[in-house]
Amino acid sequence: MAERPEDLNLPNAVITRIIKEALPDGVNISKEARSAISRAASVFVLYATSCANNFAMKGKRKTLNASDVLSAMEEMEFQRFVTPLKEALEEQKKKDKDKKTDPEEQDKSRDEDNEEDEERLEEEEQNEEEEVDN
Amino acid sequence: MAAAAGSGTPREEEGPSGEAAAPQPQAPTSAPGARLSRLPLARVKALVKADPDVTLAGQEAIFILARAAELFVETIAKDAYCCAQQGKRKTLQRRDLDNAIEAVDEFAFLEGTLD
Repeated sequence: MAERPEDLNLPNAVITRIIKEALPDGVNISKEARSAISRAASVFVLYATSCANNFAMKGKRKTLNASDVLSAMEEMEFQRFVTPLKEALEEQKKKDKDKKTDPEEQDKSRDEDNEEDEERLEEEEQNEEEEVDN
Repeated sequence: MAAAAGSGTPREEEGPSGEAAAPQPQAPTSAPGARLSRLPLARVKALVKADPDVTLAGQEAIFILARAAELFVETIAKDAYCCAQQGKRKTLQRRDLDNAIEAVDEFAFLEGTLD
């Protein structure tokens, strides 16, 4: 059953919660509208990924990094996201540092810390080998 | 297994439908309530992997994409609400969303994708 990428929906519960928190109390959202927003979010991620990947390729890198995504946001005219995203990233890095002081977490953190691109998309690695026709 | 690898990678066991038991987000950070709405990184990663041109994606990239998607949902919900308000309705309808997409330049990339 072939699924289009846009069918990779994000969880309804989280989407609904984000919407409700964005809107004033007492405002509802129809199922159709919520479902459409969920699809839109998926499309957004796909589009952002594609943009970010262009920046990575320009930099002759094979791994998408955070700054690629930030550049993509500007390219997509979502500059207003850049600052909150940078803050979120800093916060996340701080959390990771805090975890490092916990000896139980140290082994796990060490793995993640060696290279930031530990999220290997191994399927893609194999695909890459197959598709080498320049 | 419950102690999944560090920074905010929730359980990746969700089936394709994803409707089953809404995944509990990671523990909120200092601001209570502000961090309860978190998109699971596994889902975002699945979307990134769907792009055939993408080779690898760093964990930070996935994290930022997830956060950006959350911001996007907030943004588009608010913009759509402006349209609903003009109709003096208290329920956001699909057409409010369509109107927002047409009216806001940044949402142009969505045209034709939601049907």
